[in-house]
Amino acid sequence: MAEQEPDIGKEIGKMPVEPLLPIEKKLIFWSLGLGAVLLFVLIWATGALFS
Amino acid sequence: MTRPLTGTSEDWLAVVVGLILFVLSLGTLAGLDLLGFAAAPKAWIDLGTAINPASEAYASFGGVASLILTYLFVLVLMLPAAAALGVNLPRFAASFSVIFWLAYLCWILGNYAYVAVTTPAEMEKFGTSWSLRLTGESGYLIALLVGLFIANALPRVACALREAARPELFIKIAIIILGGTLGIKAAEQIGLASSVMFRGGAAIIEAYLIYWAVVYFVARKWFGFSREWAAPLASGISICGVSAAIATAAAIRARPMVAVMVSSLVVIFAMVELLILPFLAAAFLSHEPMVAAAWMGLAVKTDGAAVAAGAVTESLILAEAAARGVVYEKGWMLGTTTTVKIFIDIFIGVWAFILAYIWTRHIEPRKEGDELRAGEIWERFPKFVLGFVATFLIVFLLALSSESLMEPLNAAMKEANVFRQIFFLLTFFSIGLLSDVRKLWQEGIGRLAAVYVVCLFGFVIWVGLAVSWIFFNGVHPPVVSG
Repeated sequence: MAEQEPDIGKEIGKMPVEPLLPIEKKLIFWSLGLGAVLLFVLIWATGALFS
Repeated sequence: MTRPLTGTSEDWLAVVVGLILFVLSLGTLAGLDLLGFAAAPKAWIDLGTAINPASEAYASFGGVASLILTYLFVLVLMLPAAAALGVNLPRFAASFSVIFWLAYLCWILGNYAYVAVTTPAEMEKFGTSWSLRLTGESGYLIALLVGLFIANALPRVACALREAARPELFIKIAIIILGGTLGIKAAEQIGLASSVMFRGGAAIIEAYLIYWAVVYFVARKWFGFSREWAAPLASGISICGVSAAIATAAAIRARPMVAVMVSSLVVIFAMVELLILPFLAAAFLSHEPMVAAAWMGLAVKTDGAAVAAGAVTESLILAEAAARGVVYEKGWMLGTTTTVKIFIDIFIGVWAFILAYIWTRHIEPRKEGDELRAGEIWERFPKFVLGFVATFLIVFLLALSSESLMEPLNAAMKEANVFRQIFFLLTFFSIGLLSDVRKLWQEGIGRLAAVYVVCLFGFVIWVGLAVSWIFFNGVHPPVVSG
């Protein structure tokens, strides 16, 4: 396969404007929400198992 | 980094090369010393005494002969791998030879007593009144800087050497060898090893869920990137650099050049992190060595740079602790960084599958016959992890099975470890060689680089530190003395 040297400026300039879709907002929200909940669960589990 | 993206095949090659070295090292169990010729430098003041074979059985070889033999052995080992990658063999052999000898020279320089020794007793032994106290691992950083110099000041030379500059292949071989060493440590300290694994798993779950969502949001909302760019960028910055960017780009069916461009940035910034973060960790976290080690795994992108950063951090913190009179057992910090990084690698496939599911169901439904398959998780699974798990479990189970095997196993891993260090060294040199910082001045890259700088230095590094602190504070490597 030949080496690829794309023109970054041109590619970024061509980038379409895409507003955040509800599904993307949901993904971000769920990821952060799950992270927050699991933080407490994992801290508790670590303490319970290894303290 | 703009070479073809050959991650999967490099993974399997790493498994083969790593396992060959591992199996040969286990010859000690049958009384065969097959790798004892391997040459590693130690602290020196007289260059003639700098290099020695790993095993006393090969002492008659002397330093020069064992080094030449080590070079030839590694070259012979790498040539079939290069052939499997489909590269030009004579060119690979020539490039690899130059990289090997330059990197090894850096390693010898890093072991110069005025650079490396860390304790008053060692200074007395070498008759030096001072030392930079950077440890022998400073040779890795010298190799990185020499590679960086060549990449940016001598671009033609760098271009000629790139055929053999494969940091991801080298570090994966090193990680597979490291699995055996960690197996012995785990057998000796089962409680600590299981604690490190659990805490490492917990830390990466947190980092994944927080990092990716925030970087994606920042790239999309603040910097106006399209989904095709934002998803690989978020994975590259937040998760595990090149492999994550590639896996994500494939999962959402982004054009290959998106992954190539993101990967170029990842390599440059990983090199910057590698030069800064270990010293920050040594300055501020020397009393929390495992926090520092986990932080390197969570903050430094790409396997090569992260594990390399773990090695430098360990050497700096161990040296600092030794100067205080506390001698920690070597290998636990590096093991922690590696464990965290391997967990991250394993989850890349799962995360890519989740993204692929969301994209195919809600954003860009795939055409008929191109539906999402659960098998895609396996396709994106980093296969070198299998090699790491195999070497870890073999040594762990052997060590647990009989006390009498501990001595030959330790001897085996000591010899294998020389090759692990050599592949580390090659990784550092190659990272430098592929870090063409002039790309940052390329037209249009500013916006990409801005997202990277804002996210990496704005919160990825600090969230990584916080998560590492939460799960690893108060955990220490075993103390040998002090």
